[in-house]
Amino acid sequence: MATRCTPDLVPRVLKVIADAGAALLAGGAEVARVEDTMQRLGKAYGVDPVEVIVLPTALFVNAPGGTVMRRIQRRAVNLAVVAAINQLSRDVSVAPLPLAELEERLARAREARRYPPWTVGLFAALAAAALSQIFGARLVDMLPAAVSGGLTGWLRQVLKATGLANPVGDMIAAMVAVAPALAVSLARGPDAGIVVVSGIMVLTPGLLITTAVRDGIQGDLLSSAARMLEALLSAGAIAAGASLPLYLFFLGGGHLG
Amino acid sequence: MIVRGVVLSGITAVAFGLLYQVSGWSVAIAGLIGMISWGIAAPLDHLANARLLGTFVGAFCVGAAAEVAAKVKQEPSLVFLVPAIIVFVPGELAYKSMVAFLRNHFVAGLEAGLTAFLEAGAIAVGLALATALVRPLLRRHGSPPRHS
Repeated sequence: MATRCTPDLVPRVLKVIADAGAALLAGGAEVARVEDTMQRLGKAYGVDPVEVIVLPTALFVNAPGGTVMRRIQRRAVNLAVVAAINQLSRDVSVAPLPLAELEERLARAREARRYPPWTVGLFAALAAAALSQIFGARLVDMLPAAVSGGLTGWLRQVLKATGLANPVGDMIAAMVAVAPALAVSLARGPDAGIVVVSGIMVLTPGLLITTAVRDGIQGDLLSSAARMLEALLSAGAIAAGASLPLYLFFLGGGHLG
Repeated sequence: MIVRGVVLSGITAVAFGLLYQVSGWSVAIAGLIGMISWGIAAPLDHLANARLLGTFVGAFCVGAAAEVAAKVKQEPSLVFLVPAIIVFVPGELAYKSMVAFLRNHFVAGLEAGLTAFLEAGAIAVGLALATALVRPLLRRHGSPPRHS
């Protein structure tokens, strides 16, 4: 256990703790993990007692000598950030690093990204292709499914980078995901429904559902409810986005299985 | 048939893991968890009217295996959970429901939509039960509760 931190350093330590928590929360970690990590960092740097409250969209950390608050509005699933900060807090509780080094490693962990941005389309395409086969599509449908998934994943990322609200981005991405399936159905006949599903599955709010469940059993009900709501919102946006082109297609007399 | 599904669900889990920036061995383990869970759940799907049970068992396997993997690899369990759970998400049913509503087939839409909703519930219960049961078992006596 580290020695008590000198009072003039407390604000700096609290800021690091809040930054670490905010990055974890934005990356998609559960509330219990965020609180646990923040407390551990506080203990490791001799800021004791440290009080932490983490809500789905905000966090507060308080210690004798200061209080720091953060609002978290933009979230993007990035498990590399969660894993990196998890590792950092583990290392720190074994042997505390100098504060400057912690700040530097935290800055690096917050930017953690295993694969360059352009690979997102590729991975999304692979996911959609595999899913189309699981859903029972024919082998030739793998290509349009991959195109649909890749396009969707890539577009969502581009839209997110422009600062568009997440549900709106999901909606537009879902609209585009339908296009390859419609092309297939025009070219070959009405059984391209699975292609739409595979493309859209790339947008599935899987992380939100998972963390909502885990928050719920931990007793973080507020966060659980909020994440459930976000998942519903996202699913609704995806359905709305995919509906529009499909609706026009059906109006025009098209068929899609 | 089941072997094909097992391989494909492994590929799906790996692809989603990569999409969510999971790295190296962890993504391979997530893929393996996806394969095992699908292999256990898929035969149940073929029993009459046991789709919900299949989804529940699949989600439970994913949850339990992810807790074990998280303990062994000392990584957050989300890293293994999130990629492996995707194959059980009822996207197909949600789509069917959407299309039925668009065609004014409200009864069919409600049927598919409600089934999708129940499947999502089965996933939630499976995951919750797995975490609630397995985590205390893995916790060593005397050591303080921690999140791995």
